[in-house]
Amino acid sequence: MSVLINKDTKVIVQGITGGMGKTHTELMQAYGTNIVGGVTPGKGGQEVCGVPVFDSVSEAVEKTGANCSVIFVPPYLALDAALEAIDAGVPLISVITEGLPPQDAVKLHAAAEKKGVLVNGPNCPGIITPGECLIGIHPGSIYMPGRVGLISRSGTLTYEIGLGLKQAGIGLSTAVGIGGDPIIGIDQKISLKLFEEDPDTDIIILVGEIGGTAEEEAAEYIKTNIKKPVIGYIAGRTAPPGKRMGHAGAIISGGKGTAESKQKAFEAAGVQVAVTPSEIVELVKQVLPAMSV
Amino acid sequence: MRLREYEAKQLFRESGIPTPEGKVIRYAEEIFANKIYPCTLKTQVLTGGRGKLGGIQFADDPNDAYKKAQDIFALEIKGDMPEAILVEPKVNIKREIYVSILIDRAYRGPIIMAAAEGGVEIESSDSIQIVPITGGNYSSYLGRKMATQLGLTGKDVLKFGNIVNRLWDVYTKNDCDLVEINPLIVDGDGNFVALDGKITINEDSLGRQPRFDGMLGAHLTDLGEREFKGKMCDLNIVELEGNIGILCNGAGLTMATMDLVFHHGGKPSNFLDVGGGANKDHVTRALDLVASDEEVKVLLVNILGGITDCVEVANALKHYKEIRPKANLVVRLVGNNEEAAQKIMNDAGITMTNVLDDAVKQAVAVAA
Repeated sequence: MSVLINKDTKVIVQGITGGMGKTHTELMQAYGTNIVGGVTPGKGGQEVCGVPVFDSVSEAVEKTGANCSVIFVPPYLALDAALEAIDAGVPLISVITEGLPPQDAVKLHAAAEKKGVLVNGPNCPGIITPGECLIGIHPGSIYMPGRVGLISRSGTLTYEIGLGLKQAGIGLSTAVGIGGDPIIGIDQKISLKLFEEDPDTDIIILVGEIGGTAEEEAAEYIKTNIKKPVIGYIAGRTAPPGKRMGHAGAIISGGKGTAESKQKAFEAAGVQVAVTPSEIVELVKQVLPAMSV
Repeated sequence: MRLREYEAKQLFRESGIPTPEGKVIRYAEEIFANKIYPCTLKTQVLTGGRGKLGGIQFADDPNDAYKKAQDIFALEIKGDMPEAILVEPKVNIKREIYVSILIDRAYRGPIIMAAAEGGVEIESSDSIQIVPITGGNYSSYLGRKMATQLGLTGKDVLKFGNIVNRLWDVYTKNDCDLVEINPLIVDGDGNFVALDGKITINEDSLGRQPRFDGMLGAHLTDLGEREFKGKMCDLNIVELEGNIGILCNGAGLTMATMDLVFHHGGKPSNFLDVGGGANKDHVTRALDLVASDEEVKVLLVNILGGITDCVEVANALKHYKEIRPKANLVVRLVGNNEEAAQKIMNDAGITMTNVLDDAVKQAVAVAA
């Protein structure tokens, strides 16, 4: 088992005829993801990567039964693409696109919440359930299947941790790359809830970073709702205040969003905090045997 | 991208927000064309707090104004020299209000923020009122609601609401992160006038706002030289004070690598996230940018290729090493197309380190 996606997930790719869409469709297919079609308005009827291209999301859903869409369209077109998928009733949408204007992001999430659609991202690596399904741009071979759930605001740092765990012989149930933007859909709390309910996840790793108060809110949520052990990590503990550290959301402003505040919140919620990525692996190794007793 | 006051006021006027009838001058002598006295002279810099530092002066006649204009043109405000002076007739202020619209991550959307008193210390004021614009769905009653929260009554509710309507227009039309009027004044005739303003245009949105084309370079402040250059060629670099140059891909991994350098006793010279899917040329620009700081003793390259092709990075590193055979490089290159990259690195005589902690320790040892 897993969360959000599995071997039965039927995926369409919006922007499948673009360079990035095509490249990653091939990589997702090579991993075993069931890509059932693609959408590029005006290019319906073509075939790309061995799957049919449709003019609209609603047509793609109707003809293929897709229940998930991955969006690889340029930033200024991403809102329209996502609204189309929401309108077509796709229950899970992953927006990989980076650089979506914030005013568009607000509209996207408002529309998704209204319809009860789960949006992953934007500006995220997507989701992977190792051995079953990959949506987005995770390098699949870096992970192995297992019973650890991983939630992360960062893409490459997720790969780093997945790789470290694999080298230690530890696999993941699912890794959810929630994205580095200030406003995101599937957040830490939603992911925590899903992993708590997943019978095949034993431990949860929560990889946060400076900026905003999502980790503090997640910690509050963990206190009352999460029984499974949670291991936390905060990137950017040595970042200077007032500087945007790559991600639009990674900035300490007005004394808010510091690593110290997040670490304290984690510790107060009983989350073990790793100081380095390799320490995360060590902590998982300590917790795992204790659980099988 | 932060606009100067006179540029912000131009956008205000285009959306119908009244401002004083101002004139922009670039030489002190231009002040003699000004006919209205007393007047206000305001330095046009991008940094805040200019009033306290002498950047705003009042003048009663042309000679007084000429002298003050000369002073202001010579006055540096926190490292920023004035681009121009905005000359406005001095206004009669009956009341000052603060009002802004900005994106707030806690509310997951834009909010109207206001306070019944305007002023410079607004961030620390405890009288701030907030009206969220849920889902970005603005309607005029939200502006009137804020007016009521500020204690305004009667016609002032409509006048203030009207200002907020127009501020919303500025905010959406120009893809702003922030539009702020501080102070919004009520003048002797009871009119609401934007006496000072601040606008920040969202940088990710500049590509669809052609009116701001080419303006970014002249609107960046508080940036070090490498940060300015990085911004101009789409590289996320933050200057730090050590001697280990860092080049990684992805914000989180770059932060983690920076943290690790400190953890193992070293000091990073910078944070540089080369972004996703960088090609050889982009990585080469990034390497050159990091190495342009003379303090840098070693370059620590940590790339986990997902969307990034390790071969592109390897080719950039090979090129870098050819030009600077004596440069110290510690390279970790894992992921997409790793084997082919390994071969290029071998041919170039660059050793690779597979484990992140080892790579960081190695770089710290070289830099020590």
